[in-house]
Amino acid sequence: MVALFLHEMKQNRRNLLIWSLAVGGLGFACILLYSGMQDSMAEMAEGFSSMGAFADAFGMSTLSLATLTGYFATEIGTIHGLGGGMFAAIVATVMLSKEEDGHTGEFLYSLPISRRKVITVKALSLTVVILAFQVLCGILYVLGFVMLGEELPWQEFMTFMGMQLVMNLEIAAICFAVSAVSKKNKLGLGLGLALFLYLYDLMARVIPSLEDYIDIGPYSYANAPQIFAGNELSGAAIGIGAAVLVIAVVLSFAGYLRRDLAS
Amino acid sequence: MEHVIEIQNLTKHYGKSRGVEDVSFSVREGEVMGFLGPNGAGKSTTIRSMLGFLRYEKGNIEILGKDAKKQQEQILREVGYMPSEAMFYSGMTVKEVIRLAADMRKLDCRRESDALCERLQVDVNKKISELSLGNRKKVSIVCAMQHKPKLFIFDEPTSGLDPLMQTTFFALIDEYVKAGATCLLSTHVLSEVKNYCDRVAIMKEGHLLCVDTVEHLTKSNAKRIKMIRDGEHLDYLYKGDLNKIKDELIGHDISDILIEDPSIDEVFMHYYEGK
Repeated sequence: MVALFLHEMKQNRRNLLIWSLAVGGLGFACILLYSGMQDSMAEMAEGFSSMGAFADAFGMSTLSLATLTGYFATEIGTIHGLGGGMFAAIVATVMLSKEEDGHTGEFLYSLPISRRKVITVKALSLTVVILAFQVLCGILYVLGFVMLGEELPWQEFMTFMGMQLVMNLEIAAICFAVSAVSKKNKLGLGLGLALFLYLYDLMARVIPSLEDYIDIGPYSYANAPQIFAGNELSGAAIGIGAAVLVIAVVLSFAGYLRRDLAS
Repeated sequence: MEHVIEIQNLTKHYGKSRGVEDVSFSVREGEVMGFLGPNGAGKSTTIRSMLGFLRYEKGNIEILGKDAKKQQEQILREVGYMPSEAMFYSGMTVKEVIRLAADMRKLDCRRESDALCERLQVDVNKKISELSLGNRKKVSIVCAMQHKPKLFIFDEPTSGLDPLMQTTFFALIDEYVKAGATCLLSTHVLSEVKNYCDRVAIMKEGHLLCVDTVEHLTKSNAKRIKMIRDGEHLDYLYKGDLNKIKDELIGHDISDILIEDPSIDEVFMHYYEGK
């Protein structure tokens, strides 16, 4: 199992680095750019805060862009949430199906490891890769704050990164279930799902009739402006997220252990 | 243990499509068993059921005395399988793939794999993506043999291999079998069955047609007759009573005649087309 785990980590190493550097690096650059834009931010903040539902959707009515914390939550929080969701979807959607899509399945499954162990190791390595993504991005964001000499609100920051991890794991679990029953890589479906969930959250924050259903989406409990504004997180949203995650993992195992492997 | 492979009434369908139907045969310890049949006959379905890749609805399979459904991992530990496709992770080098296969078995196979790579002329530093089909096949052979398994299962192993490597491959099988291994060889190449197999199982349209020794299958009543009769060159398969063969000759001017057993190709074509 250790050999397969290390193999999976090697297989995902490049993807992890590219996405961590792209998302985390972009966030890091945005933090550094803040000092140059600080003067114009006050005006922008005033303008955005009067934009009603749009400002609500992006959290600009609760946090001010004129502070680095507000800027981080509204701008970088969006980039990180969207990027993290897409990364989790990409890695999870191909985690199992890549063996059959790439015709490496017969090699892997001819080695003395049961299917139950294969899916367990792959689920574990998926979790570690997503965790590593959050850690790498987190380090870059902290570095940005340190370089600007700004104080980081650690509690909110850790809560945000923790909720982003859970949100990524929930999206990954759904995509993992898709991967478990697919003979071909369904990258488009995974990416589409991540984007749809993000848009769903955005719409639920803008359209009043959807407001009651906002907790269904995983982005609801990982919303940066809410977390950095010190608002209490929705227990229902986290509960639904945890339930979806568990159900998706159970379905992944059930589907994968019952199906024939494609040649 | 007399039988290394024991398959009883194996039935596997793909939805409504036929896979294999009621297949039963066994492979004795220390023998090389040929597994023949045209495309779609059910050879790969049988092999993939044996290795636990497919879930079959009926029948029992025992490999090395272990239940194929319940003890898959233990079985795979003692089996060297070479799939027909020989595909590996494209970003890895040959060395990494061979090492991965050994690590998954928790074995240090470096001595054996080095020796195999040398005999098969495998460049271990090359990337998998740079390899031709033949070279990927050689890597597959190393992965299947390096842990010195008790049972080899090869699915069309020689396609893509040059004649020299084919000879080396069969020499390796011969060495492992002499050392106590057993081999199931699925192939389309009849000469391989004739030259290297002790017995052969013939599949057609999901059914097992027969299991017999190669020698016995070719020693049928049918004879190939080649002669020059009344100045005419004749070459045909005689399937009648051998005592009446003289009727073909009496009253004719025979300038040359050869009566021989039919070739293995003819025997198998008879099974493929006839039954």
